[in-house]
Amino acid sequence: MPAIEVEHLHKRYGDKVAVDDVSFTVEQGEIFGVLGPNGAGKTTTVECVQGLRRADRGVVRVLGLDPVRDRAEVRQRVGAQLQESQLPDKLRVREALDLYRSFYRNRADIDELLTDLGLAGQRDTAFHKLSGGQKQRLSVALALVGRPEIAILDELTTGLDPQGRRDTWDLVESIRDRGVTVVLVTHFMEEAERLCDRLAIIDSGRVVAIDSPSGLLSRVGTEHRVHFRPLDPLDDALLAALPEVTDVRRVGDEVTVSGPEQVLQTVLSALAERKVRYAALRVEQPTLDDAFVSLTGRATRTATPPTTDERSS
Amino acid sequence: MNALSKLVAVEAKLFLREPVSLFFVFALPLGLMLVFGLPQRGATADDGGQHTELTFLPALALALTIGMLALFTLPMALGIYRERRVLRRLATTPVHPALLLIAQVVVNLAMGVAGAVVTAIGVRFLLDQPAPANMPAFVLAFLLGVACLFAVGLLIAALAPSARAAQSIGPALFFPLLFLAGAWLPRDQMPTVLARIGDYSPLGATVDTLAAAWAGESPALPQLLALAVTAVLGSVLATRFFRWE
Repeated sequence: MPAIEVEHLHKRYGDKVAVDDVSFTVEQGEIFGVLGPNGAGKTTTVECVQGLRRADRGVVRVLGLDPVRDRAEVRQRVGAQLQESQLPDKLRVREALDLYRSFYRNRADIDELLTDLGLAGQRDTAFHKLSGGQKQRLSVALALVGRPEIAILDELTTGLDPQGRRDTWDLVESIRDRGVTVVLVTHFMEEAERLCDRLAIIDSGRVVAIDSPSGLLSRVGTEHRVHFRPLDPLDDALLAALPEVTDVRRVGDEVTVSGPEQVLQTVLSALAERKVRYAALRVEQPTLDDAFVSLTGRATRTATPPTTDERSS
Repeated sequence: MNALSKLVAVEAKLFLREPVSLFFVFALPLGLMLVFGLPQRGATADDGGQHTELTFLPALALALTIGMLALFTLPMALGIYRERRVLRRLATTPVHPALLLIAQVVVNLAMGVAGAVVTAIGVRFLLDQPAPANMPAFVLAFLLGVACLFAVGLLIAALAPSARAAQSIGPALFFPLLFLAGAWLPRDQMPTVLARIGDYSPLGATVDTLAAAWAGESPALPQLLALAVTAVLGSVLATRFFRWE
């Protein structure tokens, strides 16, 4: 049984369609990313999964249950960390965990959780005295205190500094390693690329693609770009004539050559052969950012239905 | 019920960690009593006006204690819980967020009763005021006053668009109510229409019924009814219009 199944989810607020047609399946034990720009419908989608909102159309199943009808049971088994959710200023870390723990049937050991999340030193610290990263970790701890089978983490690293963000990524992986299925809602491509086993890209309320990060990259076929500054005279036409090279541009004295992955090898060989020296060599690999721009751009230009190949199987 | 008792315990702790609310509940009413009550005791009063009734000031102090909790503390706390998405967060757990509202009301009620007892004892011994003569009526008036003022507070919490708004609506309502109760100008010196409105306003009716019971008389039935009706109406509307986010 999949952890979560969403089929043809549709939700509107008044005239505004927040989720148009979203379908995806989350398998048990994976980190599944829901990725998209702000306002794409990510949060509404997971709110329907949590049973916080009732879908206008479509089917949502969580661990085989209906999150609206079986809300009590789903809430016992799904832990959630909400975007921008806070606690009372003077509530202490331990008190918060102790309180939320009392809501659940299966209760995690608080000391163990505090140690795992690196909050052991803050157990008696009031919420408003915690750093941003500590608040975020406490929020995750609250989502885990009922020993959930699924953890939904919404915009976990927004507002954290780079170090805090990396620490949090390690944390998410350790959650998955405990056997918890993780749904990660984010608008950071880098985060999704690093953490997710599979991800759904959502744009304007629709699923644009579902795949693994590497699958998305290869599907998009985004090109590598080789940048360098030639120190000897070099004819651009010569580079353009090389096999595999799809584009050559020169901005100031920097040359940029585009092509598939092997283009670096081709360009370097050509330069060596003609004894052209170069400096400031750098290769740009396609990122999920590129994939995202390419996928959403294509979706808007050619009005083809969104690729939801996972569903066709 | 384990979750509710935990919530009540935590909310009580949080309340006790706020020096400002403690001051409002336990120190301010008694302080006001001493400032205004002592000179009054010294003067010989025989013109029979509202302010010269010996039970008016103590009754006002009690109403003040409850009023500040109901109209200041409660709506602001609930506004903050909504704004910080604490209610939303609770909605993702097996516990319904309404339990947090109940816990808040329970804690504020308990503090209100504690504050009233402290004030009443203070009045009894510092100002040498006799204990309430008609105890059953006093308790009834107190409970109805509490229910009425808390219902108004919950309605503010339900309708205020933000915690900041709740913070200004509370006082904006509190001081006119205090005026209508006759805190500054005795009601018997007000224009008749204003005085009648004052008689049935939440604080005015609370003060009058408490004062009457304190003096050993029977509180006026229409005023008790006004409190009960306001309490029911306020709670129903608050439940109807409460926004969880």
